[in-house]
Amino acid sequence: MTRRARWTDPKRELWLAWYATVAFYSLYAVVFFLVTRTQPPGKPWYTPEQVAGWFAGRHTGLLVGFALIFVLGGLSATALALITYSIRRMSVSRAFAYSYLILYAIAAVPGFLFICVAMTVGTMRPGRDPAVLRWLYDLGFLSFSGTMGVFLLGSLIWMTAILLDRNGVFPKWFAYLNLCNALTEVVVAPSWLFHGGVLAWNGTIAWWINVVVFGIYTGTFIHLLRQVILREDFGTGPLPAAPRRDSAHRVLEEVMAS
Amino acid sequence: MTTTHTGAGAGIAAASPTTTRHVPGQPDMWFFVVFESLIFTSYFCVYLFNRARHETAFLQGQSHLVLWLGVLDTVVLLTSSWAVARSIQHARAGHHEAATRAALLTAACGVVFLALKIVEWTRLIHMGKTFTSGAFFPYYFFLTGIHCVHLLIGFVVLGLLLKQLSDPRRRSQETVETCATYWHTVDFFWVLIFALLYVVR
Repeated sequence: MTRRARWTDPKRELWLAWYATVAFYSLYAVVFFLVTRTQPPGKPWYTPEQVAGWFAGRHTGLLVGFALIFVLGGLSATALALITYSIRRMSVSRAFAYSYLILYAIAAVPGFLFICVAMTVGTMRPGRDPAVLRWLYDLGFLSFSGTMGVFLLGSLIWMTAILLDRNGVFPKWFAYLNLCNALTEVVVAPSWLFHGGVLAWNGTIAWWINVVVFGIYTGTFIHLLRQVILREDFGTGPLPAAPRRDSAHRVLEEVMAS
Repeated sequence: MTTTHTGAGAGIAAASPTTTRHVPGQPDMWFFVVFESLIFTSYFCVYLFNRARHETAFLQGQSHLVLWLGVLDTVVLLTSSWAVARSIQHARAGHHEAATRAALLTAACGVVFLALKIVEWTRLIHMGKTFTSGAFFPYYFFLTGIHCVHLLIGFVVLGLLLKQLSDPRRRSQETVETCATYWHTVDFFWVLIFALLYVVR
């Protein structure tokens, strides 16, 4: 394919959105796990003084990390747009795509942005009463972990759309993976009640198992979105199969075409 | 898991004279069964690990459970699984009215199970044993609660099964078997939860 042909490839916008999605999730992992070290979460049983120390110990990381999120966090919209596009490509009603889009856009406020704002405020106002810092710390982690349930309906909408779809945009097993993901998001809700143990916001069940499932789910849907773009024919009927990658098959096809 | 059946009668499955082997229902549903089993296994491992560390506290908590209520729960759910299996057999044979009756019995058992669970939860809460009480009860309420969420989804699945059986134009044996597979999975998880919470002491 020549440079010009590649540039006029009608899939380029989709690839742009897909690479932006990969960039967003990479940024998300790096910022939360490495730069700010807000994941795995801090201890829910910390005293106000310990929380003040927690903020002080991460001062630069929190500022740099969340500055990156405030500048580049909008890239999350590309993932959402691509998923919405994939639902629109299905044979189901557009209501599924719009419901998913609106639900996830709203859910991102408590589930993603609250922690960034709360932690940045705590970092930027180190002289405040430790009790206030503790309140911000609770707000950050409880909103991030405790509101996972708001994503539940979104996963179920995506699942239903895939099960009803006759265009074969996603494999049916992915619909059931959506259900698994939705059910683990329910599990995080008890973190509002516990200050320690397996169901607290940093607990083995509420955080560690949940994050493993979420990681598998996210990696899977990013891969499957790539497959959708590869298979996209910009029609309205069933999506064709993905092009074979092995060179022998390609050579055979070229010989047959000639 | 595979099953063997012959396509006898005017069932939805093709009336092939030869015996065929296949996975019941939509093969993709078995992905859910395996993945969800892995998630539940991880919950059980966490439970057993912590139980081994605080055995006395867990035994003390378990002593407040009524074993016969747990046994009754299990019998009711096993009956529901038997009924849904009968429903599949009837559907394969083309006896859709009998299949519908068996599916309704499954749903009725599900409702009885849910009612028994509510009775059990209410009794414990009146005794002061809530979600946050001690070492054992967070696990008890969590495992029985997440199982009940699966059960509630199971009612939606049974609704779909009944719809499939009642509408000759939309009938699909694969969908009917997929619904039954989900219900069996819910039952399977309960048997494990029952063994861990009520029996292992």
